[in-house]
Amino acid sequence: MNTLRYFMDPNLAAGYWPVVVTGLAVAMLCALLSVLVVLKRLAFIGQGISHAGFGGMGLAAVMGLVTAAAAGSASASVGQFLVVLGFCLLSALLIGFLSERGQAEADTAIGIVLVGTMAAGIVLMRTARSRASVESFLFGDILAVTWTDAAIGWTVAVGVLLALWLTRRALLFWSFDPVVARALGVSDRRMNLLLMFLLGLATVTAMRLAGAVLATAMLVLPGAIALRLSRRWLPVLWLAAASAVVGILGGLLVSFELNWPPGAAIVSVLCVLFGVACVPNLTRRVPA
Amino acid sequence: MINAIEFNNVSYTYPRPAGEGGPARLALDRITLAVPEGQRVGVLGPNGGGKSTLLKLTLGMLPGHTGEIRVMGLPPREAAQRRLIGYVPQRSTAELKFPFTVRQVVEMGATLGLPAWKSLSREQRGNIDRALTLVGASEIAGSHIGSLSGGQLQRVLIARALACAPKVLLLDEPTVGIDAVGQQQFADLLRHLHDDLKLTVMVVSHDIRTVAAGCDRVACLSRTLHFHAAPQGLTPAVLAEVFRHDVAAIFGDIHVDAHAASACSDPSHHHGAVAPTPVSIRVEKTPR
Repeated sequence: MNTLRYFMDPNLAAGYWPVVVTGLAVAMLCALLSVLVVLKRLAFIGQGISHAGFGGMGLAAVMGLVTAAAAGSASASVGQFLVVLGFCLLSALLIGFLSERGQAEADTAIGIVLVGTMAAGIVLMRTARSRASVESFLFGDILAVTWTDAAIGWTVAVGVLLALWLTRRALLFWSFDPVVARALGVSDRRMNLLLMFLLGLATVTAMRLAGAVLATAMLVLPGAIALRLSRRWLPVLWLAAASAVVGILGGLLVSFELNWPPGAAIVSVLCVLFGVACVPNLTRRVPA
Repeated sequence: MINAIEFNNVSYTYPRPAGEGGPARLALDRITLAVPEGQRVGVLGPNGGGKSTLLKLTLGMLPGHTGEIRVMGLPPREAAQRRLIGYVPQRSTAELKFPFTVRQVVEMGATLGLPAWKSLSREQRGNIDRALTLVGASEIAGSHIGSLSGGQLQRVLIARALACAPKVLLLDEPTVGIDAVGQQQFADLLRHLHDDLKLTVMVVSHDIRTVAAGCDRVACLSRTLHFHAAPQGLTPAVLAEVFRHDVAAIFGDIHVDAHAASACSDPSHHHGAVAPTPVSIRVEKTPR
């Protein structure tokens, strides 16, 4: 088994442990957010933000951060993370601006920003002549994950979980009943910005592992699986966390064994889990 | 006795939407309204007559009005943020797929605005239990919010509004989609709110039965406001003027057995309580 060999050999293990540790951070980070993403129907906007991350990668490549980070510079890794995050957040704001000002419907605005930032990413990568492959940004690359990424991942995970805990009352009220929340003084704009910021952070962190194209899956599938299995809030949160951990660790296992890109392997495992979670509902008799 | 809600010569014009032609729309024209503490006022009027605008102004959600508005002696926004106002929208505004129980939804009314690290006090828990009991929802406190009937959901949303022990309760079209039994239960509930909590209640509706059966006074609103005795003063001629239509053609025969209290034809008159007397209104269908 490749997996055992990777982790038993001290030389190889040094390269693979950061992947597992980063994966667990991504699981914690995305699991709780994914419940909100599914319930608030934000999957498509998550897709837009994650694709914008590819544009951010292009910008980081032009700035020389991608090459420096690949060479092992921790400060370049952090710089790259911040550039991509900034690009994602600006894209989210642009989506909000276009739809709020009536320039385009929300889904049209997302579609435009999604393809626009992808195109910008490809052009910027070409311009930068970065040695890093475009494919690794799109679908994830295990070998690119370092201890710096793991540290960033856990810092972001703890920060996002703390932010969710601190704002949970207003955020949940607003998510459940935005009209009444607004009437009672909860600011729509602040809540939207908070959610976009947290989604941006989660997406950029997940991108390192799963790539720009598949990062959104982490923000959709754990919540979708949990909501298939329970109609109680706390069990849903635990089930989302459990399915994210199983999905990511299972996906990494598949990736190690079959040499698949990690993003595709993780998404495949999460999709299988979702299929299994659907079975009880599919077999339930429809009342006459 | 002080006035819980006061409008003094208030007008509101909706601004012209950006990029669209056409004139700005005058929604409310020089409204003067005084609702003494503990009174139940029904605001009756056709769609587009300004009922929702009146509620939004009472909640402080619409800046840019002329005239003065006070709720419990405070500007409306401040009153809403201090949780002196409970608000129940039409039932369609809540996301019923959320995995929340009835009790969790009602608790939201008390926890909004509490710091994240503070849990509910014994008094606040008592308020929640009392609110559930008052609306008759104690037995369904553990049920999923999405599994309730329209009438049950309406009562739960009222309990959520009561959970923060407000002084003023605003209800927007509370009986839309509720059957005759539910409407009668709603009228009974309004009476309980008045008798047990001494709440000031403002009900906005286009349904004559709702306001006639549960309110002390009725204000007919069609951009301007006219007070009429409830329900004695709601003659077919008055209703036809408010709705700009032959009311019998809209509502058919109406027969409401109600306990009408004070009869008020002008906001400056008759604010004292009058002993309830069972009365009925009957709008006969005109032969065609």
